Amino acid sequence: MTTKLMGQKVQRVEDQRFLRGNGRYVDDVAVEGGTLHAAVLRSPHAHARILDIDVEAVLDLEGVHAVFTWDDLASCTPQMAEPLPLLIPHPALTHGRTQYALAKDEVNYVGEAIAFVVADDRYIAEDAVGRIRVDYEFLPPVVGIDAARAATSLVHDDVPGNIGARLEQNVGDAPAAIAQAPHRLELDLTVERSACMPMEGRGTVARWDPDLNRLQLWTSTQSSTGVRAAVAVKMGLDLGQVDVITPDVGGGFGVKINHPWPEELLVPMAAKALGRTVKFTEDRREHFISSAHERGQVQHIEVGFDDDGRLLGLDVEFWHDHGAYTPYGLIVPIITSTQLLGPYKPQNYKVVFESLYTNTVIVTPYRGAGRPQGCYAMERTMDAIAAYLGKDRAEVRAVNFIQPDEFPYDQGLIFQDGRELEYDSGDYPAMLEKTKALVGWDEFPAFKAEMAAQGRQVGIGLACYVEGTGVGPYEGAHVHIETSGKVKVATGLTTQGQGHATVFAQLVADELGVKFEDVEVVTGDTRRMPYAVGTFASRAAVMSGSAIHLAAKRAKEKALKIAAEALEADEKDLQIVDGVVSVKGSPGTSIDLGTVSVLSNPLRYAFDEASKAATQFSVGDPGKPPVPEDDEPGLEGKDFYSPERATFASGMHAVIVETDPETAEITILKYAVVHDCGHLINPMIVEGQIHGGVAQGVGGALYERMAYDESGQLLNASFMDFLMPYVTEVPDGIDIDHLETPSPLNPLGIKGAGEAGVIPSAAVFAAAIEDAEGTLHPGMGITAMPISPSELYALRQSHDGKNS
Amino acid sequence: MKISGTNVVDQPVEKVWDALLDPRVLVATIPGCERLVATGDNAYDMTVTAGVAAIKGTYQGQCTLSDLEEHRGLTMRLSGAGAPGTIDATVQVSFASPAAGSTEISYEADAVVGGMVGGVGQRMLSSVSKRMAGEFFGNVGSAIAGGPVVEPVETPAADAPAGTTFTAPAKASVSSQDDFLKGIAVGAGLVVLGVVVGRLFGRR
Repeated sequence: MTTKLMGQKVQRVEDQRFLRGNGRYVDDVAVEGGTLHAAVLRSPHAHARILDIDVEAVLDLEGVHAVFTWDDLASCTPQMAEPLPLLIPHPALTHGRTQYALAKDEVNYVGEAIAFVVADDRYIAEDAVGRIRVDYEFLPPVVGIDAARAATSLVHDDVPGNIGARLEQNVGDAPAAIAQAPHRLELDLTVERSACMPMEGRGTVARWDPDLNRLQLWTSTQSSTGVRAAVAVKMGLDLGQVDVITPDVGGGFGVKINHPWPEELLVPMAAKALGRTVKFTEDRREHFISSAHERGQVQHIEVGFDDDGRLLGLDVEFWHDHGAYTPYGLIVPIITSTQLLGPYKPQNYKVVFESLYTNTVIVTPYRGAGRPQGCYAMERTMDAIAAYLGKDRAEVRAVNFIQPDEFPYDQGLIFQDGRELEYDSGDYPAMLEKTKALVGWDEFPAFKAEMAAQGRQVGIGLACYVEGTGVGPYEGAHVHIETSGKVKVATGLTTQGQGHATVFAQLVADELGVKFEDVEVVTGDTRRMPYAVGTFASRAAVMSGSAIHLAAKRAKEKALKIAAEALEADEKDLQIVDGVVSVKGSPGTSIDLGTVSVLSNPLRYAFDEASKAATQFSVGDPGKPPVPEDDEPGLEGKDFYSPERATFASGMHAVIVETDPETAEITILKYAVVHDCGHLINPMIVEGQIHGGVAQGVGGALYERMAYDESGQLLNASFMDFLMPYVTEVPDGIDIDHLETPSPLNPLGIKGAGEAGVIPSAAVFAAAIEDAEGTLHPGMGITAMPISPSELYALRQSHDGKNS
Repeated sequence: MKISGTNVVDQPVEKVWDALLDPRVLVATIPGCERLVATGDNAYDMTVTAGVAAIKGTYQGQCTLSDLEEHRGLTMRLSGAGAPGTIDATVQVSFASPAAGSTEISYEADAVVGGMVGGVGQRMLSSVSKRMAGEFFGNVGSAIAGGPVVEPVETPAADAPAGTTFTAPAKASVSSQDDFLKGIAVGAGLVVLGVVVGRLFGRR
């Protein structure tokens, strides 16, 4: 009997290819001569009216094939000259705005696309871009949340107060509960901008086939079906005329879920107009200034609690910087406002946010997608309550936990998918115990004293989160058993390095009873699975995993039915092991799955020995139709998974840091993670996700920021100045423990794991640094993240100055 | 971004003042300035080649001097654009005479630097600007000592009545050992670009 692969640390099938340089990314497509290359003229100004664009100097340049400005877009279709889609409308988004594929009249951030040049190569295209002259009339830029709130200037003339949306949700009466609470606290917190920074930026290749009258598009996206629909609508094509293929993607982390990017429309438009293959590959500076950022928020929290630290009322107001446009709606601030609650019961909760326009790059989800900010708000509040009451921080958290017997637990709010925020399962008290044990929480005071005796200062932090994963609406899968016995699996969402080809193959091998090596998985190709949503919200394993499991089950049912007939046995007595169907207990009576596949497709013509077996004089009951009613030829299974609501994973992180009393340098001594994503398909891959998330979180908490100056120029738009952590900045060992509370919502009992590692970083580092600093700088709160050594140093100076 | 600095020129303030209002001096002393077209009272169109770190290129732009308080101060408005980026700056310049025959010039610039220079070269900008300012005022001192260095070379079309064009000479006076500034000196030879500028400005 084959060992079950679910739960095994199966080696990733992708890695041989990736590590040997055989990955195939968008820029590796269409490398033949004859492919044209595009470059984009981007606004150097954060806010300006475009008075004139002079492309005359480009027109006669040898090697330039076309230059497009907004004026040229309508020649493709009228809708091409309309603003880009607002992907996720929401009633509260009363003033949603999106940009044009190429700027019309006005630019609203440095990096906004103005003109698009197609040339023989990228060098010529960029030289041509440099020759385009644009006359601007400067408008006052709005940079940062404070400026947006002050609204002395407006980003969009017709958006008063720079307020795109205001959304309030209430459970109970938080202000009243706080007013009556024995203890009250207020906190003001800020989180700065950062960004996903995948190693591979955006990229798109398009080829128009005039003979077939159809478009092929390769793009580095997290939603190939989304891009397909957008391109079809904008170019006036039928869905069936557009194929979108997502090859290997060098990281997404959220930024590639937004679509269509201007280039995803301009490239196919140019390819069709010119009758040539056109490629656009984003460079790093372009990625900084023309893709998307996230995280920037200012928060005000009021909380009322009892003597045990039990929450009685929580009133949160925050201001979310969504940049110049709102293509992705309110997803990020909605997630912050709902997932802020984490594993706790607030009793009474009021949250209101304003989503604000600024003259900066747009904001769309970045791994964690608003949760890091929510977790930061909630966990800093927990720490503040513990400090106020002089209680252990873990204890204060524990008294507020939702208990294991309270699931499903309805928080009474509406989540990002429009459904109730109802937690399906979890065990937070057990998780806290595991976390304390893993990091050495109870032993820490002794360690701290020991370090203090050596003149060193250390601190410990703890942060808990709950993450809604696997949101709908659906994903689907197609499983096809070839006559060779090989199994071809297709699901529509895309892959950015997660190891889908491995985990999905594990699921199929388990369900179907075939060898792992015989399963091949394709993702993100609309030709293979035209119905799909995309890869975001830690949903691939939950959604496509479940769909693949169901599709494999269907294929298996069909295989058993055909095999039962062939073997003259009862279906119930059959088993499939390593691709062979046999009668349980009599291994001699068997048939290969490949042969079953041959039999599934009654043939008139034979092409080889295998197909001979399925021809009309070999098989079939003359009294029945060759393909039974309600059946189809072929050994295939297709199914979709569409859950009622998201499944809620959870986790707790704890970190021990050392801060240098003189230089304020911050060193990580220990990092511990306890994580609950239900049943694990592949623990190695889950741990890899956690490692990656923690690394990205370390960057977000201690290093990365988007340094905008007051005129809206991004000053650190390169890897020289934007600090991403190297392996030297990420803790050597990340201690990981798992808890498995299966989800009741899907057949495999799984929950998402992709984003988890990054969610509590800002919260847990702020807590640990505050704890480390507490001895020498008592009462010094860490309220702004990320924090660099220089900022910590300055904070000490100002804090000590105030208190001396 | 804010850039400020102080330079001393070993010439009396009256002469320095006159020199700074003299386009013949300006074209010869602004580092990387290839061409200056007077478009009105103390207003010029100009072509400057400059580089910040690896990002070098030619900028076309305007410069106006205003709020003139003789021998005491003025405001310079600069704007320019080129392939490497854009600059838009207001510079407050004040003059003092700490000792007879010597002028101390202080400047405070509030500059918006956009495009690639802004994003990638920003951390170099401050030091490069200071170096260029030092170079400029040093050149002004030498120019005063050596007399006017350039004569008008061209009178452009009638639709730019104020237009008198000054072209930089071969910059023998640029003496820095720095490779970056050598790059600027080489760039000064690209007079042909000035023709393009003249045409562009002529259309307005």
